[in-house]
Amino acid sequence: MIKRITNFFRDGIYFDHYLFISITLLSIMGLVFLFSASQGNIETTIKQSFFVFFGLILMFLVSQLDPDFYKSNALIFLLLSVFLLLLTSLTGKEINGAKRWLDLGFFTLQTSEIIKITLPLFLAAYLFDKSLPISLKNTFISIILILVIVNLVRIQPDLGTSLVILIAGFYVLFLAGLSWRFIGASTGLFVLSLPYLWNNFLEPFQRQRILTLFDPDADPYGSGWNITQSKIAIGSGGFQGKGYQQGSQAHLDFLPETETDFIFSVIAEEFGFFGVCILLSVFFFIFFRCLYLALNARDRFCRLTIGGISLLFLSTIFINLAMVIGIIPVVGMPLPFISKGGSSLLSFYIAFGIIISMATHKKLIRQ
Amino acid sequence: MIDLQERFSERKNFFNRLILIYAVFTALFIFILYKTYSLQVSSFSDYEIAALKNKTREILIQPRRGIIYDRNGEILVNNVPSYNLILKPAFINDLKNLLNEIEQFIELSNEQVEYVQNNFQKKASLNRELVLKKNLTKEEIAKFEVRSHNFENIFIGERYSRKNLYPDLFSHSIGYIGNLDSDGLEKVLSDQSLLAKETIFSYANGFIEGKTGIENIYDEKLRGEFGKKIYEVDATGKLLDELNEVPAINGDDFNSSLDLEAQKVAFNAMNGRRGAVVAVKISTGEIISYVSSPSFSVNKIANGLSEKEFQELIEDKNKPFFDRAVQGRYSPASTIKPAIGLFGIEKNIIDWDYTIKDPGFFILPEDNRIYRGWKKGGHGDINLSNAIIESSNTFFFSLAYQSDIDDLTSHLSKFGFGRNICNDCFLPDTGLLPSPAWKMNTHNFGWFKGDTVNLGVGQGYLSATPIQLAYYAAILANKGSINRFSFIKDNSLSEEDKLVTNNINISDWDKMHKSMIGVIDSPKGTAGRLRSLKDYAIAAKSGTVELVSTDTKEDYKIIRENEGNRDHAIIIAFGPMPNPEYAVSVVIENGESGGSVAGPVAIAVMNSLVNR
Repeated sequence: MIKRITNFFRDGIYFDHYLFISITLLSIMGLVFLFSASQGNIETTIKQSFFVFFGLILMFLVSQLDPDFYKSNALIFLLLSVFLLLLTSLTGKEINGAKRWLDLGFFTLQTSEIIKITLPLFLAAYLFDKSLPISLKNTFISIILILVIVNLVRIQPDLGTSLVILIAGFYVLFLAGLSWRFIGASTGLFVLSLPYLWNNFLEPFQRQRILTLFDPDADPYGSGWNITQSKIAIGSGGFQGKGYQQGSQAHLDFLPETETDFIFSVIAEEFGFFGVCILLSVFFFIFFRCLYLALNARDRFCRLTIGGISLLFLSTIFINLAMVIGIIPVVGMPLPFISKGGSSLLSFYIAFGIIISMATHKKLIRQ
Repeated sequence: MIDLQERFSERKNFFNRLILIYAVFTALFIFILYKTYSLQVSSFSDYEIAALKNKTREILIQPRRGIIYDRNGEILVNNVPSYNLILKPAFINDLKNLLNEIEQFIELSNEQVEYVQNNFQKKASLNRELVLKKNLTKEEIAKFEVRSHNFENIFIGERYSRKNLYPDLFSHSIGYIGNLDSDGLEKVLSDQSLLAKETIFSYANGFIEGKTGIENIYDEKLRGEFGKKIYEVDATGKLLDELNEVPAINGDDFNSSLDLEAQKVAFNAMNGRRGAVVAVKISTGEIISYVSSPSFSVNKIANGLSEKEFQELIEDKNKPFFDRAVQGRYSPASTIKPAIGLFGIEKNIIDWDYTIKDPGFFILPEDNRIYRGWKKGGHGDINLSNAIIESSNTFFFSLAYQSDIDDLTSHLSKFGFGRNICNDCFLPDTGLLPSPAWKMNTHNFGWFKGDTVNLGVGQGYLSATPIQLAYYAAILANKGSINRFSFIKDNSLSEEDKLVTNNINISDWDKMHKSMIGVIDSPKGTAGRLRSLKDYAIAAKSGTVELVSTDTKEDYKIIRENEGNRDHAIIIAFGPMPNPEYAVSVVIENGESGGSVAGPVAIAVMNSLVNR
């Protein structure tokens, strides 16, 4: 009986138990952390548990589909998600001056979280059969597409997510074989255009955040508050942490956005460096499992998709951690599988569902 | 479609690039781990302190000032409680209903209700107390106490006021308290390494400090030390739990040298006249009585004066704020004569048998200028003893004439003239002991022999404060030594001034005492009218300070029409003789006669001390 079930799991379904177990573990840790970060708010935690539960199911379902399904439908997914983005900017729900959410009644969807997956997927599907090095034409088509979508997100405004989409797009381009000459030239151009971007593309509050990074003590009670308090929370956690739900920074409201952007600070405060190491170990395990799967993927499309999506995952985590420890400016960026927020959570379950699908649907390359 | 060769190179290319990015990210994550390590492990203690500082709030507790006692343990200045009705807004849901209930038995004004309503939300969100009604009456307190079980979020809080029980009696000696300004507060707190922050006040007036007198000089001792309550707070500053309390240390009580009874007697004897009385205990230099008249109520000053009352005090031509005892400058007039006589003995210019003929005036040989005595026709043949008793000017003109001015000044300085002789007086003036150098500097004139002659009878440039005169009296009484004056009871540790002399011996002091007793008791004594006021011997020397120089009594009658031109009356006295315990000086401005006007005040004070 048991053997039959294991056989079924080995042959009948597509399942990467390494990723599945580590992501489930991460999700459960996330729920535990969120309960404390939300000041013991049961409602928030239960809501998040539903997302986790359905997210895991969604991940499993997504992983059952053949990669070819994603390849052939990548354009449709992209158009659908661009449509959702446009819909958001027209009829979206405005919270704190930002229009990022579509109200679906039972759930408000942050549409930029979807395009974060569909764009690299499309680019992989677009570039997988192009010869090397990628022609200038294809490069420009890809770049224009990336920039248009990034800009749609940036004007919401959502600097953090637009940044992630931008780099996710470029990861796929880079992995697909973007010429080094082009990379050199565009990097130079980017550096030269920094002053222009500074003056025209950043909101005043965003500029302030960047300035704050370099001197958080200049205005510790104003723009420097978040980062100052976050560092205090992390630092005061020490090696062992203050204990679960014992973080004074988190529980006495000194720390901002404890459920979302600054949840890592809560973890670091309550579980200390020890807890940080455990959390990062789980992340590292997932990173390197993804690397292994990317390197062993069955074809170029799968390689590019797994590579692009896993680098997106890495970047999101890096940006979040770097932000809360004060080495990059504060941008809205959730910690995957940990921070509150259904859209981000679901998009990463879908993303890992796609990765598992591509890693498990083997096919022999015919000579 | 790409061929196999290309597919192979594509794969290799992909591998290289992905591993490159992974390598970069691995480095970045290691950097993050390192940063986290440095925050959590290397700099842990800094951040631990920062987090602790964040979540704790110290609230200062104001100490109570020390009580000031008189030398017999009578309370002079005390802290008197007043009672306030205080709410804890954070625990009150229905303010309106609560106020209605309270109004059933405690009357509330519209302002009080409005104040509470306006501040309720803020105080509730920060969990701070809110005063509903100040200065409850005994009846209101009783009414609240019986119902207090119904009002667990209301309580009666004590706030103190500093109260001088004899508000006019000690205005200049003890002085008054007033509000401490922010700079002063910062200094007081930094002495205790505290920062200015929220405070639980013990005093209704908030931060206070001694502004004048003993309250000022001994402020540090009387003040005490702030305590603190340490609360856990959230980011909005709301008080959550009390974590710790360091109680305030109340200020030290101050046992002053002042004597309530003697002070009352002196104050009443002055009866509001302009002037000062200082009485001291000779053996220790303790200040027993210290009156500057007229006076004012220190309680009114400390607890708020209306603008009008304040203006009246400031503009009062009798200058009640002016502390005449240590700041009033008066010529010692004839009271200087014992010191001048002793100078003659010390310098061997005269001895007790030395006699001159006093025709009633002295002619300065240099310019034939005439210096008159007070008695027309003079005192005839007169020696030092009688010159003291009868207050012959001519004798001392003549003696001063034979004196070296520098020697004379240094001699007078030993008696306290021109010096601060008090350890703890508030803003003392040193008076003026003139010298040739001083005159050249300030008047741009050389010293004339006539100036020395004037000095011989205590007129001219020489001036002294009443407390200096008391010191001079005490050093005469104690035969050449005295402790520096102080308001501290049992002043025996105070530095002693010792008159170093070569030729003045005990018998000279005794003879001087005898002469000064004669000022009252001898038939020819200038203060003979005081004889009937006492039943023991007192040594004294009276003086009359001429404010306008007149040659005849008729001229004086004209100028005395203006009260301000009238002579000041001065007396110094010590007794009971022959072993004097107390020395007194009295100055009454425009009182005219040292013996008969200032004298009775001195005798009254002396009587109150001796006849106990």
